[in-house]
Amino acid sequence: MRKTILAAALAFATGLGFVAMGAPQAPDSYSGGVKGTVIIRGTKEPVQGAVLNVYSGAELVASVKSDEVGQFKVDNLKNGMYVVVIEASEYLQNTVNVTVNDGYVKNMFNVSLTPTQSMENMEDASLMEFDLDDSGYNDSPAIIGGSNDIFNNIASFGFSAVRFKTRGYLSESQDVYLAGVKMNDAITGYSPYSLWSGLNEATRIKEATIGNEISEYGFSGYNGSSNIFANATNVRKGFRASALTNSQFYRLRLMLSYASGMQDNGWAYAFNVSGRFGGNDWIRGVYYRSFAYYAAAEKVFDDTHKLGFVFFGTPGERGKQMGATQEAYDLVGDNMYNPNWGYQNGVVRNSRVAKTHEPVAIVKYDYTPSDEFQASVTALYRFGRNGNTALDWYDAADPRPDYYRNLPSYFYNADPDLNRQNTGKYAWATEIWTHPDDYPQYTQVNWDRLYDVNRLSLDEDGNMRSKYVIQERRVDQNDFNLAATAKYQVNHFLSLNGGLSAKVNRTEYYTRIDDLLGGEYFININNFAERDFGADPIAVQNDLDYYYAHGNTAQKVKKGDKYGYDYFANVQNYEGWVNAKYALGNLSANVAGKVGYNTFWREGVWKNGLFPDDSQGESEHKSFLTYGAKAGVNYVIGGNTRLYANVGYYNDAPKFNQAFLSPRTRNSIAPNLTTVKTFSADLNASYSANGYNVRGTLFYTTINDQTDLMSFYDDLQNAFTNFSMVGIDERHAGVELGFKVPVPVPGLSVQGALSMGEYIYTSNPYMTQTVDNSSEMVMENQPVSYWKNNPLYSSDGAGGYVEEITGTEKHYVPSTPQTAASLGLSWNKNYWFIDLDVQHFRNAYLDMNPFYRTDVATAGPDNKVTPNEIMGLTRQEKFDPCWLLNLSVGKSWYIHYKYQLGVNFNAKNLLNNTTVKTGGYEQTRLIDNTTSKTRFYRFDSKYFYMSGFNYMLNVYFKF
Amino acid sequence: MKKSLIILATALAALVSCEEWEPVYTLDYDEPKAFEPVTLEQMNQMGRHITIAQLAARYTPGNGPIAITEDLFISGKVCSSDKAGNIYKSFYIQDETGGMEIKAGRSSLYSDYHEGQTIYVFLNGMTVGMYGYKSGNYGGNGMVQVGLEDPTGEYETSYIELPFFIDKYIYKGELGAPVAPTTLSESQLPSKNGTVASCKYLGELVHLDGLQYANNVFTLLYLNSNDNKKESSNRIFVADQTWGVKTWAMSKNLMGKYLESGLWDAIKIGNSGDQNYGTVGDHKDKKDLLGNLVNGKHYGDIERQAGTVSQTFKMGNTEVAIRTSGYGRFGDYKIPDDILDGSKTLSVTGILTLYQGDIQITVNSYEDFTYADGTPLPKETMTF
Repeated sequence: MRKTILAAALAFATGLGFVAMGAPQAPDSYSGGVKGTVIIRGTKEPVQGAVLNVYSGAELVASVKSDEVGQFKVDNLKNGMYVVVIEASEYLQNTVNVTVNDGYVKNMFNVSLTPTQSMENMEDASLMEFDLDDSGYNDSPAIIGGSNDIFNNIASFGFSAVRFKTRGYLSESQDVYLAGVKMNDAITGYSPYSLWSGLNEATRIKEATIGNEISEYGFSGYNGSSNIFANATNVRKGFRASALTNSQFYRLRLMLSYASGMQDNGWAYAFNVSGRFGGNDWIRGVYYRSFAYYAAAEKVFDDTHKLGFVFFGTPGERGKQMGATQEAYDLVGDNMYNPNWGYQNGVVRNSRVAKTHEPVAIVKYDYTPSDEFQASVTALYRFGRNGNTALDWYDAADPRPDYYRNLPSYFYNADPDLNRQNTGKYAWATEIWTHPDDYPQYTQVNWDRLYDVNRLSLDEDGNMRSKYVIQERRVDQNDFNLAATAKYQVNHFLSLNGGLSAKVNRTEYYTRIDDLLGGEYFININNFAERDFGADPIAVQNDLDYYYAHGNTAQKVKKGDKYGYDYFANVQNYEGWVNAKYALGNLSANVAGKVGYNTFWREGVWKNGLFPDDSQGESEHKSFLTYGAKAGVNYVIGGNTRLYANVGYYNDAPKFNQAFLSPRTRNSIAPNLTTVKTFSADLNASYSANGYNVRGTLFYTTINDQTDLMSFYDDLQNAFTNFSMVGIDERHAGVELGFKVPVPVPGLSVQGALSMGEYIYTSNPYMTQTVDNSSEMVMENQPVSYWKNNPLYSSDGAGGYVEEITGTEKHYVPSTPQTAASLGLSWNKNYWFIDLDVQHFRNAYLDMNPFYRTDVATAGPDNKVTPNEIMGLTRQEKFDPCWLLNLSVGKSWYIHYKYQLGVNFNAKNLLNNTTVKTGGYEQTRLIDNTTSKTRFYRFDSKYFYMSGFNYMLNVYFKF
Repeated sequence: MKKSLIILATALAALVSCEEWEPVYTLDYDEPKAFEPVTLEQMNQMGRHITIAQLAARYTPGNGPIAITEDLFISGKVCSSDKAGNIYKSFYIQDETGGMEIKAGRSSLYSDYHEGQTIYVFLNGMTVGMYGYKSGNYGGNGMVQVGLEDPTGEYETSYIELPFFIDKYIYKGELGAPVAPTTLSESQLPSKNGTVASCKYLGELVHLDGLQYANNVFTLLYLNSNDNKKESSNRIFVADQTWGVKTWAMSKNLMGKYLESGLWDAIKIGNSGDQNYGTVGDHKDKKDLLGNLVNGKHYGDIERQAGTVSQTFKMGNTEVAIRTSGYGRFGDYKIPDDILDGSKTLSVTGILTLYQGDIQITVNSYEDFTYADGTPLPKETMTF
């Protein structure tokens, strides 16, 4: 026993699993078994590649896959009762009881699976990102994978429209694996879905876990995981072509895929290409011009060795959207107003465009010497470019149309304390903003003016020095990964599973000139430094070496040249994990542990004039030892019912992007960085059998010692500052329920999902603020006193408040509805499916800016904290609840038993509700030029809204 | 089949013609048309031309702002620049009769209004008012400006500010060579009640020679600029002598150095008639409740802020203040010692203005300061 564990450990350690295993115990031989065909409920089409796990109680006794015509066969079963659990991507899990007796192979005939909303139709709904570069806000899909879970299936279709986050967790807590390699971004932790968006066929087959569950590909965390196979044999065999149009993201998607399936010569290959083009019904200026390619090959050598190659990329560009204040939305009369675009020569041009091409190359080796041992190792390399454009300007007026000084509210406010009483300008600004079609030069980007300014900006040599440019902020990754996993069935009740992984990431951050907008060059100096160090020619240099080497002049940069900043982020993560699973009778249990070592550092390419001694070269290497432990128990009742519970503790390293105070200029690391400590537990019950699927979960999670970092203009310092927060604690507790239950009408089911929880902040963090230009300390380790809650004061009846506390208002984890519910009907018969769901969302909150919750902000210029100031600055906005109605219809036809033609139609938000806030953020600036000089006021928050009625129509053809 | 192909082609063509498809096919955007200057003929279609002196003459100091309700316009060449940051949110134009400040209310105006460019200002809807007027024996005139009405009454005019208004009132004409300054003698300088009528050089670009340093600075700072700036206890006047201020102005960074050098410790806080709030030196070791220096530094409760400085010179017997912004690019340069000690005189080119009857010169750039022989001043920074 000890020897075999040692052997397994050695196998992990070599990462290759080539170590010869002790001879497996000779299995007893039985003549019994089961066979049958996996088909789609309703249409009777065969399902290829469904995984059938045969359990005796909680013990897994066999696992097979269905073949190209859906057939499967399990041999060597002794007489007895078994539970067959059938799983396939895009189908709900099914469980069937079967008895083997008299040593016969039992024919189960047709085993049916219920199709879920296919990912191919909806990926973009869940993958659309918010584009909030300037706010530091980011978002990725709400629900990953797990579509064979009933709750996730319903939630991923409808809930993503309101940016629902599973159990209230940050989306980066979801681990996404590709061919066994964890793909979460090394620097931010985000799931990089855009790497493969548009490759729906190539990436549709995946395995997934929920909550604290452990998987066979990795340890992962408390918010589930998914592993996309992406290999050639997991692409649907044959040709498949589709054309899709939708009204929410882009007009047209064309896609073609082909897979050979495993051929007699042991080779399989597959490809997938697509293009997505055009704008949409809701947001002007937004467009797609995106392509995608994928090629894969796989070779099997004598059934024990398998080698796979994959290469894909998604080159393209996409015009982006920005949030705006409610004032702007109301004036324009459109909650989808997008300030990013403007007319250039009468043509719509977007100033913020994502331009990316990050190819991924994968080599995967699988070693399956026996039924008891299997191992695999994957090498994966991600590289290429990732850019986002934006307007940049030097010594020129702010070109953004919705700059606060252009809006009516800047000129008039009924409260005389705000010192805004210019009714004439207010009236005219209102006139302009309420007639955006008549005044696009003021309500959108005025490109023609920017060109005029640049072309008339002549230097002493008569050359045109651009004042306005389009910059491209580049984040170019070199991400190399090596991951090995192995699985060993020690005996019939104990299995071991584990892995080793290494991620070595070196990412270059820089800005480059994308467009000089009619001028001939731009000068590489720091205009923020120029504000405070007017006469100092050294302080304003972004690249001091260049300055000295070129006779004390800053570089004149041209299109494509780097300027501003240039540095590398280096991140290296190493991890090893092991899981032991015990299964006997109806009970199974597992314990797992993980140890990791994370290290990161900054490496400045340029010597910055503000910090000549702390900007170039390597920063301190920050290292963290991480670890985690998980345990689970699972009890099976009567084959179809499971009771299970998981518990986990995780000690995770902070990310690079939370660690450096001002990575663009210097190496300084945020004070008091520490690991994030998470405890999470869940208790679950599920039932699945012919057409019935139910899961219920109770969860409880505490996440402590999180850090956050932001940079913003502080009106009190009249300076750009860095603000780091430590000790942010959260608690997430709630219930999750999903069900699909047949009703006594053929093909009809009732389905529903409910997620209800309380996700709150449980601490007042501490913050340290420094001036960006000088790293001078503004505040050191001061509490953010109103972060977790704020006192409520009695109204004075005149819009103000008096010194009488009536209660406390909790502050919630933002940007997700804390209650989300869906109830609907699903009908599936004769190649038709129709789903109609009504959904309700409530208790969503706005992301808070900690600066407004500090004592400094609430004290005001007179240094006296009053109820009006607390009520004005510290409360958290709660979004209105909403109701949505969604419909989807699908139908497919077989032609000559050979070709298949299918149509899917989704209509979302049938009630055309255009007032649903899905997120946003508070600005950080304060209004401080009041007449009373006793208090500060907030700037208006910026919001994102959900689009109104939208549809998607997909036509596909298989041949 | 053919029919459906036609339908498909038509549908695609319809899609392609939509505005949202343009960026999909636009790999390079066409550049906008070149700038077309507004001509006098075009302006004459809009209204009647009057001179700057005629416009200025409509205003009587002390009588309050005047709203223009006729279709009139003035024209002139831009003679100021905010490029070096010494002039802020305004620009000056001059015709043959005088100069005028246009309160545009945006930053980096030199990008839109180039020195020497002809500018037309359409006046109907605008307001003419004065900034810097003070009645009484110690007062005098300020400068007539063109802007918009200030409904708050705090100033006589407000900034035009809104891009819509800027386009409505200010028209950009032909580019031209920069305006040549007029060299003035002492007798051509305005009196304290001077106007464009009595001294046409007001608001124009002028050149003065033979300025002798007068050992007198004036700058107003605040303990906390977010607090009430009118409150005497919040005001620090660095005035009546030099207090060691040897620079044209002071950036936020330099102001901190002056403060921490101790040179200002004897300055009394408060307005001249109300200096009962201790001295700057009293703040050197201010402690917070926990016994630490406030904000962790000496003078921690005095805000570091840029200071705009008037350095006083004499041209003959007439005082001329050179007023320089602490937000500009050259305010931190030191006035050369040979000028400070009086062994050499200063020559300067700048906009001539009055503030409460005092003559002020505001330069466009550091190169506008020279020695008498035209050699440029060195770019020295302060050391303490």
